[in-house]
Amino acid sequence: MKRESQYLVARRGVLQAGAGLLFAAALPPLPAWSVSPDHYRIAAAPARARLAGPDRPETDVWTYNGTVPGTLVRLRQGEPTRLLVENRLDQETTVHWHGIRLPNAMDGVPGLTQPPIRPGESFVYEFTPQDAGTFWYHPHANSLEQLGRGLAGALIVEEREPMAVDRDLLWFLADWRLTEEGGIAPRFGNRMEAAMSGRVGNTVTLNGRASEAEYFRTGERVRLRLVNASLARIMALRFEGHSPVTVAIDGQPCDPHEPAGGRLLLGPAMRIDVVLDMQGEPGKRYAVIDDFYDGLAYRLTELAYEERPPLRTHPLDASLDLPRNPLPEPDLATADRHGLTLQGGMMSAMMMRGGVMQGAGMMHGMMGMGGGAAWAINGMSMTGDGHAGMEPALTFQRGRSVVLKLRNETAWWHPMHFHGHSLRVLSRNGKPVPHRQWQDTVLVAPKEVVEAAFVADNPGDWMLHCHVMDHQMAGLMTVLRVD
Amino acid sequence: MNRTIRFVSLTAFIALAGPAVAEPLQATLYKNPQCGCCEGYAAYLRDNGFNVEVKPTNDLAEISREAGVPEGMQGCHTTFIDGYVIDGHVPVNVVRKLLTERPPIAGITLPGMPMGSPGMSGTKTEKFVIYTVPKDGKAPSVYAEE
Repeated sequence: MKRESQYLVARRGVLQAGAGLLFAAALPPLPAWSVSPDHYRIAAAPARARLAGPDRPETDVWTYNGTVPGTLVRLRQGEPTRLLVENRLDQETTVHWHGIRLPNAMDGVPGLTQPPIRPGESFVYEFTPQDAGTFWYHPHANSLEQLGRGLAGALIVEEREPMAVDRDLLWFLADWRLTEEGGIAPRFGNRMEAAMSGRVGNTVTLNGRASEAEYFRTGERVRLRLVNASLARIMALRFEGHSPVTVAIDGQPCDPHEPAGGRLLLGPAMRIDVVLDMQGEPGKRYAVIDDFYDGLAYRLTELAYEERPPLRTHPLDASLDLPRNPLPEPDLATADRHGLTLQGGMMSAMMMRGGVMQGAGMMHGMMGMGGGAAWAINGMSMTGDGHAGMEPALTFQRGRSVVLKLRNETAWWHPMHFHGHSLRVLSRNGKPVPHRQWQDTVLVAPKEVVEAAFVADNPGDWMLHCHVMDHQMAGLMTVLRVD
Repeated sequence: MNRTIRFVSLTAFIALAGPAVAEPLQATLYKNPQCGCCEGYAAYLRDNGFNVEVKPTNDLAEISREAGVPEGMQGCHTTFIDGYVIDGHVPVNVVRKLLTERPPIAGITLPGMPMGSPGMSGTKTEKFVIYTVPKDGKAPSVYAEE
């Protein structure tokens, strides 16, 4: 099936002679728009997509190269790449290569790192990915609407030595707010929502469509790359009858481990790579449930087993360890320590002080922050998507180790994304975080305190913001400078 | 307490509570699944004799909009009682006034989440202004002040 093969990242026929026959489809050809594996052309343009199912109307979407999700960008670790982005929208855009440690000028933040790409114009992004893993790309201009209308795609940087699995699969998950007629509900940036959990939608797609089932064969081992490309929806995934093993988070390999309670907590913009040994019975189906929101659990898809004899009788005993990426290890003994306090939102003193929440003028003129600010970091609200002249909240000397203490004073969850670096997550509420977890998007629970460390080795002004897009737009954003 | 008195007081209780038990008003409250104060408001309505069904939803903004509540005047949860929308932490005496007067409007709203309002923590620091939610695209007007 063509649809499936597109999200088959790679198949490793080396494991067993039979493995190569698993699916009749050949490896996907390179996307039409890619000139070569290291040279992509990506056009941001309107298109139509059937998101909600075959019996539902098509939806007008904005896409990268005409598909939802956009063209799968596959790069090789340590090899230079060139990505030409063409803007065929009627508004400015940029592309942020989420999680890639790259030069500041390639980071895609309008005003701060590059001029926005105007309609009809293009921009060439050039960088050499240092880290292998699962990443993604999306706009950083009018982000709430552009991402909410579909502009997003996966970016996979291949390891030099592939992992021993039968299939390497991508589940690119996105959340849409669709109207009865099948359109994308307008009215982005509802102020009440911006101060609560953001624009959570009503339709979740897996690789661009609502999924009834995904097909597997008993005995196979798959690497499943989960990407949460939602504007605001946090997911907690359970695989009935299966025990996924987390092998990488946000593209960075960790010690392989089963997640607490068998539940994969995946905030907006996060990625988790799991290895699944498919030990279900041929012909049977197992639900994949997202039960993050109380009382609103739903079935994301089903693991459907083909009626075929098992590929092998015992699970593979190949290693689940991925090779480490070349991340500099922070020196905690000498690190500079800084605090970033997340403030605001509904049920906070900031929102209710002085009656700012009352009447039609609510959230305006709060603390002199200009229209629409509902959130702040250390008392400062930067709103929007990024612009020139944003003063850094903190400045780090290049090469220094830094420990950031993220203190969430709010009553809401925040996936905090730091550009240009990966953060070693040290502790949550004082409790050490196991499994050597590095993340570029750290999900912080209400009232939680997270400590994370990194080496400030990438010079430039870097965004740090919440990836619930409404929260970013409404002030949960700041800039950190590496001199 | 002897057996007879106990019986009598129980009867008295039933008699007094009778009308409420016989005809409790049904309220359906839509709330953000992660917002805590809305449960406080549901409890407040229950304490005041309403039968409350709480429905968590991620579509609150759309539900509120479709009910006619203008953006910028939305409360943090949306309740439907007896054909009216009641948005936000509206005090129960204003709800009762609405249900008694039955004006030709879609409902009423107390925008935001003012401190000290029913279901909210804190002390009331200022007047609660409850606005009408008009049916016909007219501008909202003040319905009650508390």
